[in-house]
Amino acid sequence: MRVNFILIFVLLVFSCSKKEGDVFRSLEPTKTNISFSNDIVESDKLNILDYLYFYNGGGVAVGDINNDGLPDVFFSANQKSNKLYLNSGELKFEDISDSAGITGKSSWNTGAIMVDINNDGWLDIYVNAVVGINGFDGHNELFINNQDNTFTESAKAYNLDLDTYSSSTAFLDYDLDGDLDLFILNHAVHTQNSFGNVSLRYERNYESGDRLMRNDGNVFTDVSEEAGIYGGPNAYGLGVAVSDFNKDGYPDIYVGNDFHEDDYYYLNQGDGTFKESLKSYFGHISRFSMGNDVADINHDGWPDLISLDMLPEDEKTLKSSEGDDNIQTLQMRTRQYGYHYQYTRNMLFLNQERGPFMETALLSGIAATDWSWSALIQDYNQDGEQDIFISNGIPKRPNDIDFIRFVSSDKIQNKINDTRLVDQKALELMPTGNVGNYIFQGTSSLKFIDQSEKWIPRDTLVSGATAYADFDADGDLDLVINNLNSEASVLENLTNSTNYLTIQLEQNGSNRHAIGAKVYVYQNDNLQYKELYTVRGFQASSEPILHFAFSQSGQVDSIRVIWPDNKVQNIGQTKLGQKLVIEKKEGLRTYDFRKDSDETNQLFVDRTDSLNFDYTHEEDRYIDFNRQKLMPFQAGDRGPALATGDWNGDGQTDIFLGGSKFKKSQLLIQNDTGFEVVETPSINKDSITEIVSATMHDFNNDQSSDLFVATGGADFFGQSQPLLDALITRENDSVIIRKIPGLYDNASVVRASDIDNDNDLDLFIGNHIVTNDYGNLPNSYILINEAGNFKISTENDFQGIGMITDAVFVDIDTDNDEDILIVGEWMAPKLYINSNGVFELSEAIPDNLNGLWQSVYPFDMDADGDLDFLLGNWGLNSKLVASDSNPLRMYYSDFDNNGQTETIVAYFKNGQYFPSNNFDELSSQLVHLKKKYNTYSEFAGQDVSQIFDKETLDKSKILEVHKLESGFLKNENGRFIFEPFDQYLQMSPLLDFVSFDFNNDGLEEVLAGGNYFGVTPYHGRFDSFPGALINSNGDVTLTPSLGLDLSNKSVRHLKIITFADKPHLIVVNNNDKARVFEIKK
Amino acid sequence: MRVLNIKQTVRSFFSLVLVIIISGCSNNEPINIVASDYHEGVDKLTEIMVHDIFSPPVASRIYAYPNIAAYEIIAANSDEFKSLNGQIDGMPQISPASNENINIELAALIAYMDVGRTLIFSEEKMKTYRDEKYEAWKKLNKKVFDASLEYGMAVSNQIIDWKEGDMYNETRTMPKFTINTDDQSRWQPTPPAYMDGIEPAWNKIRPFVLDSAAQFIPVQHPEFSMEKESDFYKELEEVYQVSKEIDFKGDESEEIAIAQFWDCNPYVSVTRGHLMFATKKITPGAHWIGITKIACEKSDFDFENTVYANTKTSIAIFDAFISCWDEKYRSNLVRPETLINNYIDDQWEPVLQTPPFPEYPSGHSVVSGAASIVLTQIFGDGFSFDDDTEQPYGLPVRSFTSFKAAAEEAAISRLYGGIHYMAAVENGINQGYNVGELVSNSLIMKSDN
Repeated sequence: MRVNFILIFVLLVFSCSKKEGDVFRSLEPTKTNISFSNDIVESDKLNILDYLYFYNGGGVAVGDINNDGLPDVFFSANQKSNKLYLNSGELKFEDISDSAGITGKSSWNTGAIMVDINNDGWLDIYVNAVVGINGFDGHNELFINNQDNTFTESAKAYNLDLDTYSSSTAFLDYDLDGDLDLFILNHAVHTQNSFGNVSLRYERNYESGDRLMRNDGNVFTDVSEEAGIYGGPNAYGLGVAVSDFNKDGYPDIYVGNDFHEDDYYYLNQGDGTFKESLKSYFGHISRFSMGNDVADINHDGWPDLISLDMLPEDEKTLKSSEGDDNIQTLQMRTRQYGYHYQYTRNMLFLNQERGPFMETALLSGIAATDWSWSALIQDYNQDGEQDIFISNGIPKRPNDIDFIRFVSSDKIQNKINDTRLVDQKALELMPTGNVGNYIFQGTSSLKFIDQSEKWIPRDTLVSGATAYADFDADGDLDLVINNLNSEASVLENLTNSTNYLTIQLEQNGSNRHAIGAKVYVYQNDNLQYKELYTVRGFQASSEPILHFAFSQSGQVDSIRVIWPDNKVQNIGQTKLGQKLVIEKKEGLRTYDFRKDSDETNQLFVDRTDSLNFDYTHEEDRYIDFNRQKLMPFQAGDRGPALATGDWNGDGQTDIFLGGSKFKKSQLLIQNDTGFEVVETPSINKDSITEIVSATMHDFNNDQSSDLFVATGGADFFGQSQPLLDALITRENDSVIIRKIPGLYDNASVVRASDIDNDNDLDLFIGNHIVTNDYGNLPNSYILINEAGNFKISTENDFQGIGMITDAVFVDIDTDNDEDILIVGEWMAPKLYINSNGVFELSEAIPDNLNGLWQSVYPFDMDADGDLDFLLGNWGLNSKLVASDSNPLRMYYSDFDNNGQTETIVAYFKNGQYFPSNNFDELSSQLVHLKKKYNTYSEFAGQDVSQIFDKETLDKSKILEVHKLESGFLKNENGRFIFEPFDQYLQMSPLLDFVSFDFNNDGLEEVLAGGNYFGVTPYHGRFDSFPGALINSNGDVTLTPSLGLDLSNKSVRHLKIITFADKPHLIVVNNNDKARVFEIKK
Repeated sequence: MRVLNIKQTVRSFFSLVLVIIISGCSNNEPINIVASDYHEGVDKLTEIMVHDIFSPPVASRIYAYPNIAAYEIIAANSDEFKSLNGQIDGMPQISPASNENINIELAALIAYMDVGRTLIFSEEKMKTYRDEKYEAWKKLNKKVFDASLEYGMAVSNQIIDWKEGDMYNETRTMPKFTINTDDQSRWQPTPPAYMDGIEPAWNKIRPFVLDSAAQFIPVQHPEFSMEKESDFYKELEEVYQVSKEIDFKGDESEEIAIAQFWDCNPYVSVTRGHLMFATKKITPGAHWIGITKIACEKSDFDFENTVYANTKTSIAIFDAFISCWDEKYRSNLVRPETLINNYIDDQWEPVLQTPPFPEYPSGHSVVSGAASIVLTQIFGDGFSFDDDTEQPYGLPVRSFTSFKAAAEEAAISRLYGGIHYMAAVENGINQGYNVGELVSNSLIMKSDN
């Protein structure tokens, strides 16, 4: 009987913990003999309170230390002895730690790497240590391989016995002298209490400053300062990646820093120095940067980068954890203290040949993987696409808001005040964060599929440093993970495919493993590109091999190896299913990296300065979120207005730019040498207005151009004079401004057309929002021109048609009067057909097309002779999600009955609608929620129907969005269907389009511009879209390669004008300088 | 005379207890509510407020309305105390008890707890406390309890209705304070939490006695200037020098003791690496409510006078915050920490954590000034006391010779704490005195004053 019970118990236990996924199987320590466990012991003197990285874990390094062809494993333990396991084949290992002399003497070990530091062909081991705080002593240890399975600690002899706050080490040959230099990552203990100025990074701090150690022949020299490596006291270095990011033949370094210090992007200048260039190449970065990895994920031969953070995926954890800064704090940190834009989520940076990285983590679906340490990008399932493994977990979540606000103060405060010690029991009250690891399947697009539930065994371990290796020599990559307070995990890759090619590089002399080599492999024109750097992820180094896998079996067409000294070696057709050892040949030519950066196809040449095109738009300080705290996006930053026309009657196109509130508008008058800034005091005497849209025409038939300016800004409200739209005309050399009575709305667009066929121009004015009442639908208007005076058309009722952002007049039914297509946010595009001056809503557009539409442009996209409509939407690189069946929702009501409406944006997740705002934001506006939910954990995980009662929700209006993709309305005999654009056009909101034959092929292409910054830090910053040319065949070319980089600019207008008989492109940005580019013929 | 009464009450209470014990529960016993019951209720409210984390202005509102509810019940049924109806604009008229079973003190305490419950977030905590009391009272005498409950709740509802019109709800959705980092003279969020400025619209809250939030605008602070000879810069330099001197004297200095004693910051955010936590204390208003309790106990105040003292003091504190906040967001002055970090010493940290609102004037100075005047009026000048209010928060007892002496120490503590310039201290306490005098003189609450 008892035996039966035990049996049942054992069965239960086994069936509960699934040890096998579809791709990886977790091997029992009893099978592998790897019993290493990084156990840490908390004490009154040493815990998360005294040492902030108490939970960061140890390191793991993999490599063949006895040159028997099988990779061996080294683990560093924080407090215990290090362990070395010899691979004896068939996934069995032998513990040789005691005899090997590697157990180590430091108090607190961290990262571990294997590298042949003395170039004798045998891998040595370098272990980092934190020394000098919390009573930690010792130093970084260098275990030189005695070639007999024993090692001799020799750090001092090599000048590598650093006694600093060291976390990890990378190695690279930065000066291309043939030997391997070291980059040692240290972490800070600087106060987190204040931001401090960024200039702290220029100081040199012994314990915290990162180090570049030059290899001078078996002794290393600290060259950090002369090489331009920052050494300040505030860099919490947790991640380091080496790659030749800009492909100039010299390896570069990316350092991920925790907390508010920026990450560092060190570009190797090729002269022994680095230039930190983060802000020039990254629009924004992860905030609590942890581990990172570099790999080409999109087959373009350029290394991409993932940088990990700690955004939880789980709704309950998400809403009970501290999140992003509020917008004002972020603005302070960036504008005043000089830090870069940082957001709490993983970042995936796509390397563009030219221009900044494109950040796509949200579009790619990998932004939220909770408390993440190591990322390793490899093709685990061997299908030809790179997958991502992310190790994950924290024993206790110190960012739990209930703990911070409520629990800690009762339990911790007095004890700390009295003794500076913390009660271990109080720390136990923090919720645990031992969530499972993540694995994402790569696809042929930029999207990754979360396969964590399927591919890997689900566990509740706290996993940190991770390394890959082909332990069983079966061609696929296995994983080994250093866990906290648990035995290390060995994950055997179960993939049974021979579509792999493992490459091992060998060269004579120094750096025998050819660390830093680049390998291009082609199969059917499909490129895979890898660099051999073994330090990847977090505090770890992996086996020094390059693993490729392919969707098709058989062979690859060619292999190109660029050795660390930039000599190139080509190899022809090669069979798959083998480990190929490539030995460096003699007499190779040097690779010319300029070939990778073709400069010849530049279509755009910046003429801004030479043509004196001098306009910088300055946005005013108004923050919509300070007024309406739950508003999802700003409405006060939609300017400037652009209008073109011949203002001075000299036959050349002049430019009007309507300024923001309290900022001047400007006229740029074209002359023979460029543009002249003309002050127009009479226009600017009204600079209190915010001009959002303008159009220049001869409205009063006096043969001179007039201006119509539509004003908004979202700040003024009610019947404020500055909100009145106005007609600006000239009579006898004086400028006359006539406000149009009654037009007090926040305009977004004004468009002119002769609606009633009476030979003068009438107007459509689209309005965006109602100030202080976001969610309410403003009225839009048709204005009829009666001898130069505008009257609101009573026949055309555009009351409450939506939150309009853009509109275009076009004769879509070719009946010789212009119809209008109107787009806006939280609505579907609306086509109104003009019949004799009266507009009727057409049913030609499907009604499930509610979007956050930003722009519309008529263009024959499919070249079938009729006009289609290009539509700029929000894009997919966003936390927002929407679909036909589960639209994005915005509830609009006066939820707390205080006379002020609120909006609550809710997204669909696992069958429920959750508010996008966190509890602090919601309850700051709806205070009664604080009575309903006394703790954050009570609120966390509640959906909208739980947070608000039925009655409240019933009386609220719901606005919906079905589509976030930009795309075009395809005209099929007068009916329209929506076709989404390519993924690269979904990177950000698209704000304007312009068509032209840019590349002189006789066909028109469309240029799209975008990016938008008027969102809260929750959304991040849509800054990654660099501009794109949609070619006539539908192919998309990102424009930095054509000489036009619109990254980090929020484009409002694209316009083609003629200067000196040559076409020029005008780009007008919000809160930035406008630019003019000559389009080359 | 009064002392005698209380002694008699105490004596009869004990004999009653004896009777109950002997005779068992006859459910027909008198319910005796004494001053300590009221203090306990106030302390309970304070405890919940500390847990819930209310900013100092909001906390002042949570003290005021429950006291007024209790006081109005006393006043409606007493010749000694005058109703505030007619003295405070819009204040509803409370009817006297119509049922002979009503225990006035009990009804007052019930009204206090009920109004208090509506003002805090963690209602459950108040309900648990209340229900325990209710059970005990019900057991003693259900008839009296029920009648008192009905009356107390009716008054509570009147006060709650009146309270709803004070613009509190509307101000929740008023604009947040917009930061202008280009203008060095303007307030900016301060380390470590860089919180937004709290309650920028508090001057819209309906005051009790002030004719408007702007009735007592303090004299201008020295004009902002970073010129070394300017008065403003000298005051900035003074903050820095005082903190250096304190550093030199060490943690045991009297200035540190004073600064910490009067910190009264309801939410001090502490960050240690990844670990964040809060240390929570009572607000400046709560400290003066604590002093009121000490004075009541030292003077052996009975229930009625205890309610009176609490009410008048909390009204003064409430109006003081409105007056103070009006000027804070008008002058919108930068904190010393911001300027010292930017211009003098980027490593400098004040002794106290800088609270999240503009500098001028010092809130603690205004509130302490106002409260001290009212307390002096009630308890007399030269009233010495041992202040143990902060003991639950790990701070020692400090002794004062008078309320004004305590107020002056509270005011100067902000300079020692490195969070205010001298002008905010000196002009702030005068502003508080003005508010206190107004409340003292214009509210006639006792027939004998």
